[in-house]
Amino acid sequence: MTPSLPDILVGNFMCVAEAPPPESAGEFMAGRVAVVALLSLLAAQEAERGIAARVWENSAIRAALVEAASYGAGFAEAASEGDGDLSMTALDRVNAALRRALISLHEAVEAAGDTARDQAILRLYRDMAHARRLDMPPLPGR
Amino acid sequence: MTLADCLEAYLTRHFGSPTIVEGLSRIPGGASRETYRFDAVIDGVTRPLILRRDPTGSLIDTDRRLEYLAFQSFHGRAPVPEPIVLEGEGTELERPFFIMSRVDGGAAASPFTVQPYGAHAQAIGEAFFEVLGAIAATDTAGLPLTEAAEAPAPDACWRVALDHWAGVIDADEQHPQPIVRAAIRRLRRDPPPPASAVRVVHGDYRTGNFLHDGQGRILAILDWEMVHLGDPLEDLAWAIDPLWGHYDDARVAGMIPRDEALAIWSRTSGLPVDPRALAWWSLFNAVKGQAIWTSAAREYRDGGFRDPVLAISGWYTARRHDQILASQLMSLEGLS
Repeated sequence: MTPSLPDILVGNFMCVAEAPPPESAGEFMAGRVAVVALLSLLAAQEAERGIAARVWENSAIRAALVEAASYGAGFAEAASEGDGDLSMTALDRVNAALRRALISLHEAVEAAGDTARDQAILRLYRDMAHARRLDMPPLPGR
Repeated sequence: MTLADCLEAYLTRHFGSPTIVEGLSRIPGGASRETYRFDAVIDGVTRPLILRRDPTGSLIDTDRRLEYLAFQSFHGRAPVPEPIVLEGEGTELERPFFIMSRVDGGAAASPFTVQPYGAHAQAIGEAFFEVLGAIAATDTAGLPLTEAAEAPAPDACWRVALDHWAGVIDADEQHPQPIVRAAIRRLRRDPPPPASAVRVVHGDYRTGNFLHDGQGRILAILDWEMVHLGDPLEDLAWAIDPLWGHYDDARVAGMIPRDEALAIWSRTSGLPVDPRALAWWSLFNAVKGQAIWTSAAREYRDGGFRDPVLAISGWYTARRHDQILASQLMSLEGLS
C-alpha cells in the first residue's frame, strides 16, 4: 500500500528536517508540525495492526480465488504464492499480485451475472477496508 | 532577493506606485497552491491580500486560470474574495501566481475534528447549503468562467467527470485498488439521468473550504481550483460525502440533517434532487476522492516525502474512502 509505513516515518523526518524560509517559519510551520504529530499517531496504529491486516487480507483473497476455480485455473494459480518473510514490503508485493487477480475475478463474475459471488466479493471489500482502517482520535474543533 | 522583495517589486510595477509588503507569512491549508497572507501598503493605504502561488513543477495552467475566473465570476454574487491579478507566466515570483483580497476574522474547520461549529452548526449548515444552491442557480451565460470552461451536454456530464477521474487513477495508482475499480465499473453500468441543468460546479465544496466568523456566518468560499461546468448534483453529493461529516452520523458536513440540507439546496437552486441521480453522484464522489488521494500519494513520493498534507491525504483519507466506497457498494446491492 502507498504510502507505506516507512514512507510516512521517513517523511515525518523530512518534513521538519530542513529550516523553512522566513515567510514559512510561523503559522505554516506550526500547522506542518501538527500534521506530522497526527501522522505519528496514525503510524502507531499501522505499526500495531498493519502486518496482521495484510496477512489476513492476503489469506482472504487467496480463499476467494481458490473458490473461483470454475472461472479458470489462473485464479487458483495466482493464489499459490506465499507471504514470504512477513515484512510489510514482502506482504505488499504479494498483496499487489493478489489484488490484481481479485480485480480480474470480479470483472469475470460481473460479466457472468453471478450475483452470489459478486455479493461475496463486495463483503470481502467491506472487510478489507475495515481491516486497513486508521482510526482518527476525537480531535476537538476550534 | 527574498519572496517579499520580489513581491514588492512586482506590486510596485502592477499598481504603478511604490508598494511596501508587510507581514508576508505562508499559511497552512491545501496542497495545490502555496498560500501567503500579507499587507500591501500603497501610498500609505494598507490593503490586506492573499498570494496564491503554484507549487514547484505542478498543476497545469488551465487549473490556475479557471480558479481565478471563478473568483471573477462569483465575487459580488456569493461570499467570495475579490480577485486582483493573475500572472500566468509568474517570472517575478519564479512561478505562476495570483493575488486576491484577504478576508480577515474567519476560521476554516479541519475536516478531521469533531463538532467544529459548536452551537452554530445549524446556522452555518443553512448558509452553507444556501450558498451552494445559489451557485447552482447561477446562469452560466456571460460568466468570466465560460471563457475557459467547456460546458458538457446534460447527458454527458457524468461521463466527462467519470472519465477524468478514472483516468487520474489509471495514471497515478501505485498499488492495485479493487474497491474503487468495482465502483467505477458500477458507475459505468448504471449511469445517472441527464443533468437537470449544466451549471458551475465548485469541485471541492465542503467543510473546511470556507471561512466562518464563529457566530454562524460564512465569510468566504475558498479553494475553487477544481471548478468546472457540469451537473450541480456533483457538488451537492461531495458536500454531504461521509468523509466530510466530522464523524457525526446524524448530520451532513457536521452541520444539519441530510433531508434539511437537500431541501435548502433544492429551494435555493431551483433544481430537483433526483434520489437515483444523487446516489450515482455520491458513489462517483467517493471515486473522485479516491482519485485525488491516489494522486496525493504519488506526489508525496515524487516530492521526496516532504509534504505531510499529501501524506495524510494519500494515506488516512484514502483508507476512509475505501470504507465509504465499500459501504456504498453494499448498500446499492441491498446488503448490510
